[in-house]
Amino acid sequence: MQSPLSSVHRWVWRNARRRAKNLLRFAEVEADGGRDLVRAAEQTQDPLLRRLFLLHALDEQRHADLFRKRGLALMSTLPAAPEAASRTDWLTPGERGLDDLRVEQERDGALLAFLHLSEKAAARDFTHYIAALEGDPPTREVFEKVVHDEAFHMNYTRAQLLRVAPKDHGRLLWMARLRRLWSLYLRFAGALAAVIGAVVLTLQYFILLPPFALLARRAWAREPEGWTPIAPERNGQGGPSPLKRQY
Amino acid sequence: MKILGISAHYHDSAAALVVDGLPVGAVQQERLSRRKNDAAFPLEAIEWCLDHAGLQPEDLDAVVFYERPMLKFDRILISALRAFPHGRAAFAHAMKNSLGEKAWVRGLITAQLGVPRDRILFTEHHQSHAAAAFLTAPTRRAAIMTTDGVGEWATLTVGRGERPAGGPIRIVLDREVRFPHSLGMLYSTFTAYLGFSVNEGEYKVMGLAAYGRPTMADQVRKVIRRTSDGAFALELDYFAFHTTVAQSYSRRFVDLFGPPRQAYEPIDLATPEGRRFADIAASVQAVLEEILVDMTRGLHAETGLPDLCLGGGVALNGVANARILAESGFERVFVPPAPGDAGSALGAALYADRIHFCNPDRDVPDHPFWGPSIDDDELARLAGEDGLPAATLNDAALVEQTADDLAAGKVVGWMEGATEFGPRALGHRSILTAPHDVALRDRLNRDIKYREEFRPFAPVVPIEAADRYFQLPPGGARLARFMSGVFPVRPEWRERLAAVTHVDGTARVQALERSMAPRLHDLLEAYGRRSGLPVLLNTSFNLAGEPIVNRVVEGYSTFRRSGIDVLVAGRCRIVKRARARTSLIEELA
Repeated sequence: MQSPLSSVHRWVWRNARRRAKNLLRFAEVEADGGRDLVRAAEQTQDPLLRRLFLLHALDEQRHADLFRKRGLALMSTLPAAPEAASRTDWLTPGERGLDDLRVEQERDGALLAFLHLSEKAAARDFTHYIAALEGDPPTREVFEKVVHDEAFHMNYTRAQLLRVAPKDHGRLLWMARLRRLWSLYLRFAGALAAVIGAVVLTLQYFILLPPFALLARRAWAREPEGWTPIAPERNGQGGPSPLKRQY
Repeated sequence: MKILGISAHYHDSAAALVVDGLPVGAVQQERLSRRKNDAAFPLEAIEWCLDHAGLQPEDLDAVVFYERPMLKFDRILISALRAFPHGRAAFAHAMKNSLGEKAWVRGLITAQLGVPRDRILFTEHHQSHAAAAFLTAPTRRAAIMTTDGVGEWATLTVGRGERPAGGPIRIVLDREVRFPHSLGMLYSTFTAYLGFSVNEGEYKVMGLAAYGRPTMADQVRKVIRRTSDGAFALELDYFAFHTTVAQSYSRRFVDLFGPPRQAYEPIDLATPEGRRFADIAASVQAVLEEILVDMTRGLHAETGLPDLCLGGGVALNGVANARILAESGFERVFVPPAPGDAGSALGAALYADRIHFCNPDRDVPDHPFWGPSIDDDELARLAGEDGLPAATLNDAALVEQTADDLAAGKVVGWMEGATEFGPRALGHRSILTAPHDVALRDRLNRDIKYREEFRPFAPVVPIEAADRYFQLPPGGARLARFMSGVFPVRPEWRERLAAVTHVDGTARVQALERSMAPRLHDLLEAYGRRSGLPVLLNTSFNLAGEPIVNRVVEGYSTFRRSGIDVLVAGRCRIVKRARARTSLIEELA
């Protein structure tokens, strides 16, 4: 099925530099995902899950290597350039999408539900990227290899979810979906708050602070270079101990 | 008295507990949270310290934070004001960052631990470094130098410490160099320029430097000049770290040194560009050493003391430390196993104990093993659950078996006892292998550590044999105790120590005293009986991007995911069973 965002995907992947940067970013996301899975393997008390999570982590590491190698190969064909102005992270999310995984806080069932949805979403996204990469067979091949592994990841997470939570798996999947939505909202709200905060602080900086800035600069100009003696009271000599102070 | 020290919020946060004048536990937060360089408030590390000592927070007489947060905030705010009108982004970042949590440390500690406010104390950042270096060193009187990126305002301090028998203990810092003039920031700026992560990639710059020649040292001297009083000053036009959070260096810096390396680009030393980066690394390293040697020489002349204690992150530069020992005039140089900010948690607690509360002096045990211990039975259980054969042996048999493995060219994951406090694996959480085989070294880089080929591996050798293989100057063995110095490998042994000899013929050697890690010492001797060389390659037990392992399960998962052949944890030993991915999937399906 064609993605409603197919033209966006084509735009994102058309440019070779953007393509290379996205692949290198995916490499980092996969490596991070692998570390999360290692942590999950170290936390679980279920030996079968431990083995599966470790296997999955190795797959993620392999994917990271595939993405990194292809990204570097693409980079090496391009002339050196300053950092690209446009960032496309949010248009092409990697495997964990916009979610953070907090392994320590998860029970096995909730973690499996989360992983299942992540893998499913990644397989869907990567399939769309494959469609958008018809002009770049080597990159396409990388995604095809990754998507092949995602099928195994989707299947095992689903099967294990049914095993560890036979009566509860439907609820866990819905909870995971809601949590992804909540996480998306938090990211959006956080980004909006950051923008508002930056605007307010910028206004303060230019309206309220110029006199203080002037004083700070004048004081700086008078400051000698090189050594500055340390006052004896800072060493606790000749007065009460300064350890009670935060300043 | 029971005193908890805390360092947090910038990089490698940690907690340390001192009871009746002696450390009982110290651990970096990253070892427990499993997030590399975790800078969060170290609640897990604090909980471990208290549990380990069987204490509750209300039992604590004091909690000491390793710096003065309001003074730090003052520096951040004033730096943004000085940069007006270019410091807008830095100002916004500083406000959000500092006022969110970092400036309210007293309230944070009270809220998290329930400790009354009047029991919370603050040392200065460089006092913590100085205490971590001096109060843990086996010396009674010493000159002290601390140097790092920046604390509150100070970036480098000098002074002296005294622990006379029965007398009052004193640490007096006489003078300081203030932000933005900083040796640590200079090195970090070049770290960023060379495409490595700041606070993480400085080791890489030092490793890369050995491949280059200091052909650009004069350019480096343009960006940092010596002042008439013997200190130094950065030429701020070349830098941007003091005005922005996004960039360390300015356009003028790029004009002087050429285009920076992009983080993703591999360094190919066969190309002119790769050699340029190596030459730049060599140049900044040479200038750093030159300044440190000159300043410590001046400090020696001024104090007339035979011993020097070095603290702060710059003290992790083993090449510079070795030159200081050789050229400054000091007979002994002491660098603690954790000279950076993590170690300041212990430094802050010791400073409060000895200086603030005037408690009597105690000799701090001279080892780095202050963290959580392994569970001896855990590996056998994990292996059993996964159907892997595990052998539980007595110490002697385990040592002999492991020596056989190493002599057969195997890579061994080695876990015993309490974990190290500090960034280096010193024998309790190590990956060990034979030191002669370059192919093994390359395999370690490629299949296990996944790191750049220009980074060297370190050797470990019994202290009594160290001088036979390495050119240790007088006092060198002390510096090599915690891998704090880089020394030449004797030319006649370089071929047989090829995997641990860097391209310039040096090695960051660990000289191991039996009392510090007896079992590893036995292993070195057993390996020596087989190979004729009681030396092993010793690298930290972790994979790229991960903290050093702490618990056995973390060692086990690392073993399962990497090319490590044998894992030893406590008295248990398991061996890798090669399996194809497809057969694993079939078995697990």
